[in-house]
Amino acid sequence: MKKRWMTTVMAMLAGMMVVTACGDKSGGSGVNGDGPYPLTLVVNQVGEIPDPNNPMEEKIREYTNTDLRIQWIPYSAYDEKVNVMVASNELPKLIKLNYTPTTISSLEADLFWDITTHLKNYPNLAAQPQAYYDNISVNGKVYGIPLFRDMGRAIVSYRKDWLDAAGLKEPVTLDDWYEIIRYSTEEDPDGNGKRDTYGMMLDKGYNQGTASTLTRLAVSQGAPNKWGIDEQGNFYPEFESEQFFEVMKLFRRLYEEKLINQDFAVVDSSELNKVYESGRANIRISGGNGQSLQTKLEKVVPEAVVDVSALQGPEGVRVPGESGNTGFLAIPKSTVKSEEELAKVLTFVDKLLDPEMVNVINKGIEGVHYEVEGDYTVTIDADKDAQEVKPYRDTFPQRGDLYNMEKKAKGTELFNKNKQIVYENENYIVPNPALTLKSNTYNERGGELEQIITDAQTKFIMGQIDEAGWKAEVERWRKSGGDQMAAEYKESYENQE
Amino acid sequence: MRQDQTWGNRLFDIINHSVLFIVAIVCVLPFVYVLAVSFASPAEVAKGGLILWPKEWSLVSYQYIFSSDTLPRSLLVSIYITVVGTLINLAFTSLMAYPLSKPHLRGRNPILLGVLITMLFSGGMIPTYFVVNGLNLTNTLWSLMIPNAISAFNLIVLKNFFQQIPDGLEDSAKIDGCNDLGVLIRIVLPLSLPAMATFGLFYAVAHWNTFFNAILYINDNEKWPIQVLLREIVILAQSRVGDASFDEMDVQPLTIRMAVIVFATVPILLVYPFLQKHFAKGVMLGSVKG
Repeated sequence: MKKRWMTTVMAMLAGMMVVTACGDKSGGSGVNGDGPYPLTLVVNQVGEIPDPNNPMEEKIREYTNTDLRIQWIPYSAYDEKVNVMVASNELPKLIKLNYTPTTISSLEADLFWDITTHLKNYPNLAAQPQAYYDNISVNGKVYGIPLFRDMGRAIVSYRKDWLDAAGLKEPVTLDDWYEIIRYSTEEDPDGNGKRDTYGMMLDKGYNQGTASTLTRLAVSQGAPNKWGIDEQGNFYPEFESEQFFEVMKLFRRLYEEKLINQDFAVVDSSELNKVYESGRANIRISGGNGQSLQTKLEKVVPEAVVDVSALQGPEGVRVPGESGNTGFLAIPKSTVKSEEELAKVLTFVDKLLDPEMVNVINKGIEGVHYEVEGDYTVTIDADKDAQEVKPYRDTFPQRGDLYNMEKKAKGTELFNKNKQIVYENENYIVPNPALTLKSNTYNERGGELEQIITDAQTKFIMGQIDEAGWKAEVERWRKSGGDQMAAEYKESYENQE
Repeated sequence: MRQDQTWGNRLFDIINHSVLFIVAIVCVLPFVYVLAVSFASPAEVAKGGLILWPKEWSLVSYQYIFSSDTLPRSLLVSIYITVVGTLINLAFTSLMAYPLSKPHLRGRNPILLGVLITMLFSGGMIPTYFVVNGLNLTNTLWSLMIPNAISAFNLIVLKNFFQQIPDGLEDSAKIDGCNDLGVLIRIVLPLSLPAMATFGLFYAVAHWNTFFNAILYINDNEKWPIQVLLREIVILAQSRVGDASFDEMDVQPLTIRMAVIVFATVPILLVYPFLQKHFAKGVMLGSVKG
């Protein structure tokens, strides 16, 4: 018995070996000649990975006369995978990079083409605003084509039905914010007789990164975006500005009076979304579109009305500028060896911004994903759009209806209002001056330094430390490397001038 | 329950049982929650509150999972690398551990020292990648099974286990005309079933959780194991907020995330009960007359 069993296992093993032994063979044809130019592209995965022979991709291949092959890499390990590719010389001809310290050092090491002087030869690439290229530049050189995103996405979304009932308007000053939040928490705006609503909720990322609620609110009140520059040209961090401290004090008071969620330091943003989408919270600052909140909210609270307004303060609209990209497409020198070939790759990217391609990348294929209605186009099926079009919309350069789009997508009034505000925000942007500046301290210990401050902010808001305690923490941050960081930014800034 | 119990004993038992029961509940509840949410309707979950028993059962989330063949296919990949990979692990680990368990093996100590060194120092991500790439294993499922075929720690434990097997047994087999391989296959391995089951389980769970190596070594998304997709669906929902390409209000519904967790966890949970019986001890009782 035993023996027979062993033989079976051995036979199975042998069988498995035979089955998996067929390796894969990916064909590669010649680079020269008139056939489609073989182009490999590495980008990060968006949702489900589409079939490489789907009509969208076929259309792109046909129009650009390339044999485009896309390799999608999961978002969660993208940067590591790219490092391995760089180290083992297995790069594609076009790769999406993120603007991180590691990437910047490989750009400085000249592993990718500097395309600063080439851009002017390509009409579509040259037509894009310089600011987008500046934000991905390294030492003033441009190494790729940004995947464009709005620079001023921050927007205030709130429950218009609740504010109307209370006779309140969208907030301008911090007092307005306080009043709206107090009313929505204490006065039972949903009228169910229970104190189960919050005027505003924060999640644990409330003071981190570009989506930081503290930064967004403080900038609207006149604070700098992450870093400010004083008269002497010295850099100082946002949290030393008066307006920023006012915002911290506002949240301290809201926390003390139990007007915001008491678990804000640990709660996840997806938990927060659930509460907003179930109609138990009022106002928030986000980078999304109010329409998607309205759609989800209607399913739970049919009478809910969401509205959006620009992020404004006593000095009018002020929005923190974001990087304006979600990475950029760079061209490795190890795979694209000659200027002629570089021209082929850049031509491909340039063609993606032609009207016909803009339509395909943003909307998909007419009759399948969208239909034309007069001067507008309408998405046929939102799920199909998210599954089949979004992967391309998110990974190819496009500027939505701001560039080369013949017919705008038809959206609801709220959707269009939201879009219009974000578009106009570009005129009121407060840029982060340190965005493309170099600081070794930041590269080595940026995370650790940020931790000192974010923890201290949380403690201050929760009332565990007072103003003196906060000042001491800021001092500690300065001593631990904050001062050095500011000095390095100043030096880097003066070198760029 | 024995008859001769004092009150003190009984009280102790009661407290013991209730504490253990509470601990067990704490361990089980998260699973129940995940299961319940995956079977609830998205609207019910959106209303909030803790769900331990859905008001109305719905299979919407599971329909979504099976609506494309991506997730089922990756599950098959995971099952494949778990089964084949574990067989490879066990075969190679026992083939190396058995000779090392014999004191008369020449060069045994240097080899063991070499094994020990690999436990303390590793080459790092990129050198390891070069090795895998140099062997042309990249983009094949072998890259997930061969580089980790022998875990040094398990090897040493198994070697010690083999050393406990009485020499008399093997000698008698030798007298009956068995060669070394025969002894290993006919005598030693059958006696080591508990150890084999234990290490098999360790290896299987490790294969099932393969995530990072799969992303590193495999470019073809049709060969990704389930964990890669699970992570993409579940973790992404929380980690990408603030990323410019991401609508901050647009996250996969909780019900779908939970359904994917169930889908990816249940198969490996099913392995435990089948291995349970092999953990039984006392296999060697009475095999050697002392």
